[in-house]
Amino acid sequence: MTDVPPLTLKRPRPARALISLVAMIDVLLILLVFFMVTSTYLDLNMIPAVSQNNDTNTTVTTTQDTTPPILIRIGADGAPVIRGKVIALADLDTLLRDRLASSPTLPVMILPTGVARTQALVSVMDTATRAGVRNVRVIRLEARQ
Amino acid sequence: MKLTRTPARQAPETIIALIDVVFFLLVFFMLIGRMDATAPFEVTPPMARTGADMPAGGITLSVGETGEMAVDGAPTADPLTALLDGLAQNSETLVRINAHHAAELRHILPLIAELEAAGAKDVALVVTPASP
Repeated sequence: MTDVPPLTLKRPRPARALISLVAMIDVLLILLVFFMVTSTYLDLNMIPAVSQNNDTNTTVTTTQDTTPPILIRIGADGAPVIRGKVIALADLDTLLRDRLASSPTLPVMILPTGVARTQALVSVMDTATRAGVRNVRVIRLEARQ
Repeated sequence: MKLTRTPARQAPETIIALIDVVFFLLVFFMLIGRMDATAPFEVTPPMARTGADMPAGGITLSVGETGEMAVDGAPTADPLTALLDGLAQNSETLVRINAHHAAELRHILPLIAELEAAGAKDVALVVTPASP
């Protein structure tokens, strides 16, 4: 008899496992939930109150010398007052547009009382800006020392 | 002898598409979200039609309806000191005043004057855009 070697069966080596994606998906989902929860969706704008970065202020100052400013007071109830008369925002818009037609560099000074609400000041500034006023200043009274 | 081909194993549902979707959502929320510190009290900014887009960054002073204040989300009784500390590091820093629409101006205007006197270059009032 010939000496036949025994038959050996080799188990195929299992395929090398890919890098598991499960951990990455977990991390992604956690990050996703985090950003969904912490995100805020307020649409906010801004109105500049102090802007000293541009040099146009000096040019405006030189050109406004010939145009007398218009003073708008804001009372405690939030209504704008011009020369002692309460004026509605729509009428203020018309008035400013009329004045701007004759003097485009019309300066507007707003003097609000301390107890007026922020919305009142913003509304008057908004009206002036929409009317086309480019030089709006908010002033306040200070006690003399 | 008839040999039958074994039916091909059905491919497992791919999770690559799921990962793609999750990734897109993640990037979307990262880009659109704002991580600003919110005020510890309710602040509803006034409405305006002519507001400009607000850049990110800067210091945020929140003013509540009754005059309570917070700088970058931290309540403080002396906001000017905190604001001036921030401006001392960089005078170009934008100071955003996020005031409640019903807050009285006596809380806000003196602060703006002090900031202007201290050399602040940019101070802005936060508003909510109103429909034209």
